[in-house]
Amino acid sequence: MTTLDISTSGAAHTTGDAVLSFEGLTVSFRTEFGEVHAVKGVDLDVRPGEVVALVGESGSGKSVTSTTALGLLPGNARVSGTVTVGGKAVGSLDNAGLRRLRGNDVAMVFQEPMTALNPVLTIGDQLTEGLQLHGIAYGKQAEARAAELLRMVGIPEPERRLKQYPHELSGGQRQRVVIAMAISCDPTVIIADEPTTALDVTVQAEILDLLRSLTQKLDTAILLITHNMGVVADMADRVAVMLKGDLVETGTVDQVLNHPKHEYTKRLLAAVPHLGEGPGQFGEVAQPAPPVPGEAAALDLKNLVIEYHRIGRPPFRAVDDVSFHVDPGEIVGLVGESGSGKSTIAKCALGLIPARSGSVSILGHDFGTTRGKRLKELRRRIGVVFQDPAASLNPRFPIGDLIAEPLVVHKVGDARSRREKVMELLDAVELPREVFNRYPHELSGGQRQRVSIARALTLEPELLVADEPTSALDVSVQASVLKVFTSLQERYRFACLFVSHDLAVIDLLAHRVVVMQNGEIVEQGPRDSVLRAPREDYTKRLLAAAPVPEPGEQRRRREARHALLTSLGEESAELHL
Amino acid sequence: MSFHSYPHAVPHGRPPVKGHEPVLIYILRRTFASVVVLLLSSVLLFFLTTKAGDPYADLRGSNADNIEQLKAARAATMHLDLDWYERYWIWLKGVAGCFTGSCDLGTTRAGQDVLFLTGTAAGATMRLVTAATLIAIVIGVALGILTAIRQYSGFDYGVTFAAFLFFSLPVFWAAVLLKEFGAIRYNDWIATGQLGPVMIVLVAAVLAVVIPSTLGGDRRRRMITGGTTFVFVVAVLLLLNLLDWYRHPISGPFMVLLVSAGAAVLVTAIVSGIRNRTALYAALTTAVVGTIAYTVLAFTPLLADPSWLGLFGLFVVTIVVSLLIGRIWGGYNRKQVMLITGVTGVVTSLVVVADILMGYWASFLGLKSRPISTIGAQTPNFTGDFWQRLIDYGTQLILPTVLLALVSIATHSRFTRSSMLEVLNQDYVRTARAKGLSEREVIVKHAFRNSLIPITTIVAFDFATLIGGAVITETVFGWKGMGQLFQEGLVNVDPPPVMAFFLVTGTAAIVMNLIADLAYASLDPRIRR
Amino acid sequence: MSDTQQNSSGWGPGASDVEELVPEAKSYSANQLVVRRFFRHRGAIVAMITLAAVIVVAFTSIGVGPIPGWWNKDIATAYDKVGDGSPTWAHPFGQNTIGKDYFALTMRGTQVSLYIAFGVGLVSTLIGTLVGAIAGYFRGILDSLLMRLTDVVIIIPLLAIAAVLGRMTGGDVNLLVLALGVLTWTSLARLVRGEVLSLRERDFVMAARAVGTHPVRIIVRHILPNTVGVVIVSATLTIAAAILLETALSFLGFGVQTPDVSLGSLISEYKNAFTTRPWLFWWPGLMILAIALSVNFIGDGLRDAFDPRQTSTKE
Repeated sequence: MTTLDISTSGAAHTTGDAVLSFEGLTVSFRTEFGEVHAVKGVDLDVRPGEVVALVGESGSGKSVTSTTALGLLPGNARVSGTVTVGGKAVGSLDNAGLRRLRGNDVAMVFQEPMTALNPVLTIGDQLTEGLQLHGIAYGKQAEARAAELLRMVGIPEPERRLKQYPHELSGGQRQRVVIAMAISCDPTVIIADEPTTALDVTVQAEILDLLRSLTQKLDTAILLITHNMGVVADMADRVAVMLKGDLVETGTVDQVLNHPKHEYTKRLLAAVPHLGEGPGQFGEVAQPAPPVPGEAAALDLKNLVIEYHRIGRPPFRAVDDVSFHVDPGEIVGLVGESGSGKSTIAKCALGLIPARSGSVSILGHDFGTTRGKRLKELRRRIGVVFQDPAASLNPRFPIGDLIAEPLVVHKVGDARSRREKVMELLDAVELPREVFNRYPHELSGGQRQRVSIARALTLEPELLVADEPTSALDVSVQASVLKVFTSLQERYRFACLFVSHDLAVIDLLAHRVVVMQNGEIVEQGPRDSVLRAPREDYTKRLLAAAPVPEPGEQRRRREARHALLTSLGEESAELHL
Repeated sequence: MSFHSYPHAVPHGRPPVKGHEPVLIYILRRTFASVVVLLLSSVLLFFLTTKAGDPYADLRGSNADNIEQLKAARAATMHLDLDWYERYWIWLKGVAGCFTGSCDLGTTRAGQDVLFLTGTAAGATMRLVTAATLIAIVIGVALGILTAIRQYSGFDYGVTFAAFLFFSLPVFWAAVLLKEFGAIRYNDWIATGQLGPVMIVLVAAVLAVVIPSTLGGDRRRRMITGGTTFVFVVAVLLLLNLLDWYRHPISGPFMVLLVSAGAAVLVTAIVSGIRNRTALYAALTTAVVGTIAYTVLAFTPLLADPSWLGLFGLFVVTIVVSLLIGRIWGGYNRKQVMLITGVTGVVTSLVVVADILMGYWASFLGLKSRPISTIGAQTPNFTGDFWQRLIDYGTQLILPTVLLALVSIATHSRFTRSSMLEVLNQDYVRTARAKGLSEREVIVKHAFRNSLIPITTIVAFDFATLIGGAVITETVFGWKGMGQLFQEGLVNVDPPPVMAFFLVTGTAAIVMNLIADLAYASLDPRIRR
Repeated sequence: MSDTQQNSSGWGPGASDVEELVPEAKSYSANQLVVRRFFRHRGAIVAMITLAAVIVVAFTSIGVGPIPGWWNKDIATAYDKVGDGSPTWAHPFGQNTIGKDYFALTMRGTQVSLYIAFGVGLVSTLIGTLVGAIAGYFRGILDSLLMRLTDVVIIIPLLAIAAVLGRMTGGDVNLLVLALGVLTWTSLARLVRGEVLSLRERDFVMAARAVGTHPVRIIVRHILPNTVGVVIVSATLTIAAAILLETALSFLGFGVQTPDVSLGSLISEYKNAFTTRPWLFWWPGLMILAIALSVNFIGDGLRDAFDPRQTSTKE
């Protein structure tokens, strides 16, 4: 099992027959809305040591396809066609046969490491369980093997970790445990369903390195389900693109990513923001007017400290001594990984949570000391767009009322003028006027986010706070929302605090960039200096970890990243045999 | 009367502790808060009770000569000349004395010492409520899990309907029915102790529907199981009739061995799977050792003429020996085997007790020909030895316990069902399935414990509700318990007995909450440090 | 309640996958979905019909107050006894010990019991929602105070404090409704508080706050409409529990007092008639059972309709 093939070439070493193959697979579900066809005739092979990426947007049926390989679909699913794993047809196996197949021949790595592990069992219990079940090791031997597995996936102090519970580990460590579990019975193929989507970009890079070394050192095949083209470019040997249950294009990673044939693939790739290509990918944003002396900044944070109270323990300092400002008409990108405090700052800038110390000034008014009518007047001049369009629209309001709500709150105009304003905004965000009487759940994610943007702009604010506004969207939807955003900014010239974890998005929008880590500012400055010539190690690391959707460039970036890690005295993640 | 434990409540599974406060401090803080709440509630209840009516009501209609004198005497015993808060203060000082060793819960209107009354009443009530709680937890949780696993089966629909039926029963109306069929008609029947043919067919038919439905499988398999069950049950019931078993149940070591070995197989099948031979042999060893010990001890005074302490000691020894057996058989999964032998040991000792009681049943019927009476916690002037008295306690306890437990069984089964279904939808259950675990392992190892977490809270809640419900049950069955104390106090506008009732129920509620917190902490490592 | 259409993970046939595949034409509003799901719950539909029938018969048969009904006998008159008073064509539910028509009495009892049940449901829902919403939205000291208040009420066994208040009301039905309503709001308050606590962290509330919306408007327009599922389900179950609570109080002698009757006071009065005049025992009991069971099933149907997580497609 130790074929030490160190070649990092993207070309597949396609030896032997397929270990996982789908032939004419169709899946449909009986739901309360009737029959829903999730997969409509998919043919796909995965060979040993090969990474095949199954790409598509939500609803394309890619997860359903992969789940059939384990025979784990719920009871209302109807499957036809054949799925073969290691020479066994999944459909023909009885329950016992299926159970022998799972874990032994095909293992799974899931998207959400936070919920994929049982919270009440120790890591050791959950690891040894599979070993004992498939007769690989028992008792003390199984424990030793489990520790060995943890060491292999790069978890320090494996013996101690075995006795810990999942909640005591970080997200990245948990995903490593899930991977350790997946390789524990030496499966011929691993299905990784969005394995890095829930992770920060630096952790994502490590997990991808680890997965890559699996194929190289264990000759394991990987079926990688993802929507992230950067991940595809980084990992895949071959790519299959799914659209609404159909496989529209398959080929090597170079063929599909660099020379796409199908219209949909082209559209998909065109929609991916490319880190390093800067502004103009989805329309230009207006350059801010040169600062007028004496004019107040749109947003000015000085020595801001924000703390969360915790019962029975000292308060948690989420933001520590942060100072930066947003000039009128300027877009400032606030970048950081989870827990960096970036969203907390956004909420504080909106006056939703109080500052422990320091000051927040909006358009020259101190948020902390303004009260009553003056505060309400001030709020009129700020707009907000949140991450999850489904959560940020009240499900009980029709779209028209949602967009008009700020007008009602501030008693602007009468019913007719409000209606006109809403129609105007619907045009501006390129939504049909018919949605006026629709409810949010009747709209798609992208449409909903346009409604959020329209609502934020109802009162023509001078400052817009956008908290990860495109992170929950599919990439093609993200592109169209970003286009709308840039054109609106061009038109209304609002200042914007744009919070995001996605450097590529920041790259194409922001005039200036603020990088945060653990509640503190690491680096700030004009976009070109921060993103092109970072001074701080953390920024360098962050930039190096972000994948780009071009396989050749991504390979160079990966090697550069490994070099950077080496220069910082760290090891890159790989399987330790 | 389950106002706080809704049948449809969906468990939220939120840990009670946010952040990572040490459990001990958390519990102390909660207990302190509860005591403060208890104090405030006592003020409220005392005030309301004093205003609930006219304490002289019974004297107003009287035309006795010494009416003024009687009124004055009553005013003196009940401190009626004082304001309510002064009376409350007197009561509170008396209660505070309990912490310094001079307890004083006041006196009733008639001058009886409430502390003394509470002592006897609380015992009866607690026996009733504890028995009902235990039964409700065991049956309710088991039904809940079965219905969750067999969601949308006939069994599931049946249990669901029964649960709603229990929720909708007026308690004392049901009590009348229970007395009629559970006591009066049963006593009539036990005089002969022969099941009629209709009854036999009915019982067999019900089991023939229920058992295949819980076991599952396709239609053909269920038909076969159902048919077999029917024939088997009819045969067994006819045999029991023939043996006059209901009046003279056959008992003895052989039956004990048979039943406890069956239990050993069942426990093994559930916990580790029957294919784990080590576990199976360990469990069977436990059953055999238990039976042998019983055979030997049956002739010693330890079992022939026991005491509570002696029995408890035997029980502890049984558990220790069982665990030892598990340890010796051991294997790579020693903990699991010890769990299996421990549970088997407990079941075996219960089987032994049941066997002894069955042995005494005929002689008990000789002492008391109508075994189940509808009134009282024990038969007055009953003379018999330890085991016969135990049967007497038991038979008197059955009906009120069943009545009280019905609603709780319904609550627990519904709650467990939805909790289990929620857990079965979790990602980690999918992970477990993806590893290749069987459905049994997924449920026993991964789902069961997680589904218990939210149930701990509902059990604590339910305990308080049960004590309230006991007021009705005790009245219906003529028990001299806390309920009667409360009701008489309230009718007489006499706070001390009412407050004594509250003191017992409130303290019990706090203790139950404490236990629930501890259970929560032991089940959920996320709130442990 | 509002995010029921979503599924947290992107795995398998999660709603998110399926939802996108649903043809545009088959789009339902949130309320339509609830109604659709409710009408698929067969038990709830049977229960609805049963309850409606009980209500209609109870109120039209003997009439309400001065309005006469279609039944030709009243509750006050002692009629000549037919035989031993067991059910006949003239007295379908039989007669009581002094010859009163038991159908009329049972119907009157049903009216009173329904009035109490729905009245308690209303009062308790109003208080519970208000307290829960205020505690959950404003948090802090107000929250602590209100929650300790609910604790104070909860720790006293409900039946006990209800008995105390019931004795204070002296059998006045309206006072009894008020008293029971004042006692039974606590669990709803906790539920609503929990909902509000999570809703107030939701982005749409954040958005409303950021615009400067007044707290009252946020609570009334944005938060409470989204707790409607919890509130309606809980209200239904309160109604069922209130009927039984009234019955228990009547049994203890602290409920509705003569001359008025409720179903509870009827069975309480005739609890010893089981062997001699069983009809006096059975009718009011079955009536309570029918009402409580119907309401419970309706509650279950509503729960499924508002929160369809556990009622996915049947196998």
